[in-house]
Amino acid sequence: MAESDDEYVQDISDDEVEAHQVTRSAGTGSRATGQGSRGAGWEVTRTWENVVEGADGTISSTVEGLLEAGKRKRLLKDTTPLQRGIIRHLLLVLDLSTAMSEKDLRPSRYLLTLRYTTAFIAEFFEQNPISQLGIIGTRDGLALTISPLSGNPNDHISNMQKLFEQEPKGQPSLQNALDMARAALFHAPAHTTREVLVLFGSLLSSDPDDIHATISALVSSHITVTIIGLAAQVAICLTLATRTNPLLPPSQTYNVALNEAHYRDLLMRATTPPTTSHSTTEDSGVKSSLLMMGFPSRIVDPSPTLCACHSRPTRGGYLCSRCSSKVCSLPTQCPACGLTLILSTHLARSYHHLFPLRNWREVSWARASVSSQKVCFGCQAPFPERPASLRRQSISGGQNHDRMSLATSESQLHPPKAAHISNANKDGVSESGRYECENCRRFFCIDCDVFAHEVVHNCPGCQSREGVLSFQTRKGGE
Amino acid sequence: MNAPPLSLLTIILDTNPHAWALLTPTLPLSAAIANLLVFINAHLAFNNSNKVAIIASHTQRAEFLYPVPSQDDSLQANGSAHNGAQNDLDGDAKMVDSDEGSGTAAGDDANHYRPFRHIQTILLSAISKLYKTTSSESLTPTTSIAGALTLALTYINKQSIALSTTTSSKTNADTFVAPSDPNLIQPATLNPRILILSVSGDLAHQYIPIMNTIFACQRLTIPIDICKIAGDSVFLQQASDATHGTYIALTHPRGLLQYLMLGFLPDQSSRKYLVPPTAVGVDFRAACFCHRKVVDVGFVCSICLSSKSGLSTVLCWNYSVRRRKAPHV
Amino acid sequence: MSASSLRSFEYLEGLPGTTFNRLYKQPSTALAIFRRMLPHLAKSFVMALLYISHPMPVTDLEAWVRPDGRRERDNAVSLLERLHILAAATNPGKPRAYALTNPFAASLRLALTGGGNHNSFGVPYNLSEEDTMSVADLDEFARRQWEGVLGYMVGSTGMNVASEGVTLSQGVKILLASGALVEARGKTVDITKDGFAFILQEVNAQVWTMLILYLQNAESLNMDEVDVLAFLFMLGSLELGLPYSKANFSQTQANMLEDLGDFGIVYQASPDSSYFYPTRLATTLTSDAGGLRSSSFASTADNNRGFIVIETNYRVYAYTSSNLQIAILQLFARLITRYPNMVAGKVTRESIRRAVSMGITSDQIISYLTTHAHPQMAKNQPVLPPTVVDQIRLWQLEGDRMKATVGFLFKDFNTQAEFEAPCRYAEEIGVLVWKHEGQRKFFVTRHEQVAAYLRNKSGKGG
Repeated sequence: MAESDDEYVQDISDDEVEAHQVTRSAGTGSRATGQGSRGAGWEVTRTWENVVEGADGTISSTVEGLLEAGKRKRLLKDTTPLQRGIIRHLLLVLDLSTAMSEKDLRPSRYLLTLRYTTAFIAEFFEQNPISQLGIIGTRDGLALTISPLSGNPNDHISNMQKLFEQEPKGQPSLQNALDMARAALFHAPAHTTREVLVLFGSLLSSDPDDIHATISALVSSHITVTIIGLAAQVAICLTLATRTNPLLPPSQTYNVALNEAHYRDLLMRATTPPTTSHSTTEDSGVKSSLLMMGFPSRIVDPSPTLCACHSRPTRGGYLCSRCSSKVCSLPTQCPACGLTLILSTHLARSYHHLFPLRNWREVSWARASVSSQKVCFGCQAPFPERPASLRRQSISGGQNHDRMSLATSESQLHPPKAAHISNANKDGVSESGRYECENCRRFFCIDCDVFAHEVVHNCPGCQSREGVLSFQTRKGGE
Repeated sequence: MNAPPLSLLTIILDTNPHAWALLTPTLPLSAAIANLLVFINAHLAFNNSNKVAIIASHTQRAEFLYPVPSQDDSLQANGSAHNGAQNDLDGDAKMVDSDEGSGTAAGDDANHYRPFRHIQTILLSAISKLYKTTSSESLTPTTSIAGALTLALTYINKQSIALSTTTSSKTNADTFVAPSDPNLIQPATLNPRILILSVSGDLAHQYIPIMNTIFACQRLTIPIDICKIAGDSVFLQQASDATHGTYIALTHPRGLLQYLMLGFLPDQSSRKYLVPPTAVGVDFRAACFCHRKVVDVGFVCSICLSSKSGLSTVLCWNYSVRRRKAPHV
Repeated sequence: MSASSLRSFEYLEGLPGTTFNRLYKQPSTALAIFRRMLPHLAKSFVMALLYISHPMPVTDLEAWVRPDGRRERDNAVSLLERLHILAAATNPGKPRAYALTNPFAASLRLALTGGGNHNSFGVPYNLSEEDTMSVADLDEFARRQWEGVLGYMVGSTGMNVASEGVTLSQGVKILLASGALVEARGKTVDITKDGFAFILQEVNAQVWTMLILYLQNAESLNMDEVDVLAFLFMLGSLELGLPYSKANFSQTQANMLEDLGDFGIVYQASPDSSYFYPTRLATTLTSDAGGLRSSSFASTADNNRGFIVIETNYRVYAYTSSNLQIAILQLFARLITRYPNMVAGKVTRESIRRAVSMGITSDQIISYLTTHAHPQMAKNQPVLPPTVVDQIRLWQLEGDRMKATVGFLFKDFNTQAEFEAPCRYAEEIGVLVWKHEGQRKFFVTRHEQVAAYLRNKSGKGG
């Protein structure tokens, strides 16, 4: 406490609330510091330099390659199955201070945050149907509950709507917000995660007390805090993120949004359940346990009957599988016997996090020419034919084509084109436009690759393979 | 501009020979396919630009029946079996060509709208090819619905992409929507839906992949209609419920055509005005991971989320996985 | 429903019931009418009823439709009844029930299942390889012919449109004149207001308008209109790029082939060859506008759909080298520069005013610009810059500041009461245009009733 007094004493004078300590930014001021991989903030990516004229004098092939690389880039993520905390308790902390009225993010930081948060709520419950979410705001040095912890997305969204009519004002208080979050998460059961996500637009926090004590308290109650900054990196936020997530690199827990799309990406990343690795499992007290749950069936009565939850006469509803009392909506706890009632579809929604689909491999022309598969197995779209120039090369070079040697010898013939190919390969683009599932050995096009990994989470080939169905396949794959 | 929307109907035909054999007294497969063809033609008659795709969900694999690729897509795995089929297909194709020359066939052609005839020819030859390549040992009472659904989705996805690029109907990409948003892929003009003609039950072992496809459909707002001719499946019912599709279990399989025409032909835009013929109750039970039984009260592991029917399970899949990677038991 | 189908529909609706009976005997006609003329919901009704052996009680049909869809349901049902597709049968002792009329249902069933011996989907002609026409050739032929027709119309405005060597037959010219699309003035022809409206339409709509004109003239040419209609619908069900035999054609149909050849709707090598090709104009007859747009017609054929770029500064860039397109553009834009593949110009107040004075409406201009917007522009939402759209409308309104109404002025009333009574009466019967209380004057479009009223009144008073 004393040290922060010394460090920031000059700031108190011009801040209106004297009782508050002000923790001000000691960051570098570069918005991109949080983005380790993207390098310094002022570095300009020269996209035009990637565009190379093709052999036919147009840039269309290069552009297509770049597009495909872009599609694929997002795909090549880690697909090792991880243990994830599927039942989550997340508190979202919104900065509602004057710093949010800045217009560097369009239309303003405030409005954009509200809009994205609304989308976030819907997506969060889509991904984590049996989790709980709460929203806290901070302004005028105070923390206020915007929406209490609950599992109903509609409540949260309607509570969020009220914020649209208000203006951001005053200074934020990180400490107050965190204390309030800690109190809200205090009762969260041990088998769930306890998370706080802070959307922070200010460069300072105006607190009543030593925030480091609060951070220590958070650590001891196994609460993890992730932060998305909107302005620049703030030292206290970095400390907060690193101390509460000792095992994760700061690039995963504290980021500064570069632009609107980046902001959204960062926010939506938080909808994926966090991994719980071995050591954190024990440290943070997340313990596995078997929960008894009921999977009720929906019924429609010929005449209205009273439901157990609201005592209102309804016709449709769900019968508790243990005591057969009728409830209106799921997921809920049976009011009579206390059994957790959920739809099996709610549970199943999270499965693809547990059993991710493995990345597919790029297919070289050499391999493609061996196979007789001429169309994408998924969508029946024909694959591109092998270019004549490559075919000629392969005949002279014999059957053993190493892809790199092929590319280099090719580069003597058509330097720009070959350069493009070898470039593209680095981005995970297949030269033959084919992608192969390593399990079923079938080829797919880029669109199906993206679609299968991003949306369906099934491999069309493995699912329709002779003699192998279901889990055995997947298990073999893992 | 109030042009009628074009719609893409993807039909998944459960071709399990076992189940169809059981149905022969009431509705033989040939009759069902004849009915289905009329239904497909009716769908195509709705709008010139309506499209259709038919996928067979066979006992242990899923295959496109229509459209079939122009070239044979045989795999290395069962190349020998495919060779015969390829000849067969080519033979059929040649027959079509020669038909046009001969007088009687030409007369027949003039009495049949060409697109309808085209589909009929391809579908029938694809089905006969499918049955010829079915070996007797692969006969099981199950069907690979999950594979067929996945194929259907990838096909729909590709068609949507193709449509949005040709008509460029896609509105200016909203700057607030990240490119990863799957809704972007789906243009407003293509109305895809999936119809499953199901005859066999016992899908519990495909639980996860089926559920994955259901959620994909839900996100893409693709309704899954279920026409349950025989058998029973909890999950298909859940599929239609979750995606706002129609679920009809046929009480009189002979009347298949009427069920199809009345219940499944109207597309999304007509359905706005129609009262859906939906089943009253929906079975929402889940499958247990250790015995693949459908349970209504289960135990759920808080971290890996599999549901267990009892604690004393000895060597179930769930257990082994947890042994390997989750030291929390 | 697009304008073209509305127009053809209006025509069909006017036909007597017996004509329908004869029309529906052809499966291709039944299919085409089903596909082209019916609203979406009506199609669902037809298909639901198609394979039902007993009539469907009216109450059942009503129960099938949601309460909030009642308006659509009534629309659909009344349309089906007007087209003699659906009939409500009332049998004593049974509730009122709907059933499809017989020739239609039977034909549609035949169309769906195939079979029968009606040959209504065209008999393909077996042609040796070297004589076949490619689709591209057919498209080129259709484009040339159709542009020839349009060029004939536009050329009359005094703009220089090269006719590309297409000579229009006398029949086509008569048809255009009888449809009041052009007016013959001595040796030259002048395009009319309707003609402008026609030119700015989509191709599919233009073809339909032309064919309806043809139908209306069919009787004067001693043609059976059912024959003509059935033939048109058959054309719509043919496949592009295939030759068809005209062995079984009636005299009417053979004559029609020749006439349609002038429009580029069908192609035949010579009038007495034994086969013909339908062109894209024919095969897309029964598809909707949506179907047309997604077909490859856009890129290959006549009006390169999507070549105009218009900017907020009213500048127009049109990527076209077609004289016809340039001439049409020139109707409402001031063209400044012409390059080999592009013309640039500007939409100005004068150019719009000139177009308006020729009888072109601002809505026509806007819809033309929208449908022909460059793909790059079509990505915008809305497609055209709103400022330009508003300004074009305003420029038209400028010309509309004064509106003349033919009518009668009543004045010189002695008392206020004497003035008010007939004035109120005129308002009630809806003929009052203007009134002035102070001067006791009012203006009506028709005077007979008002005069009678006044006479009555004075008679009673006197």
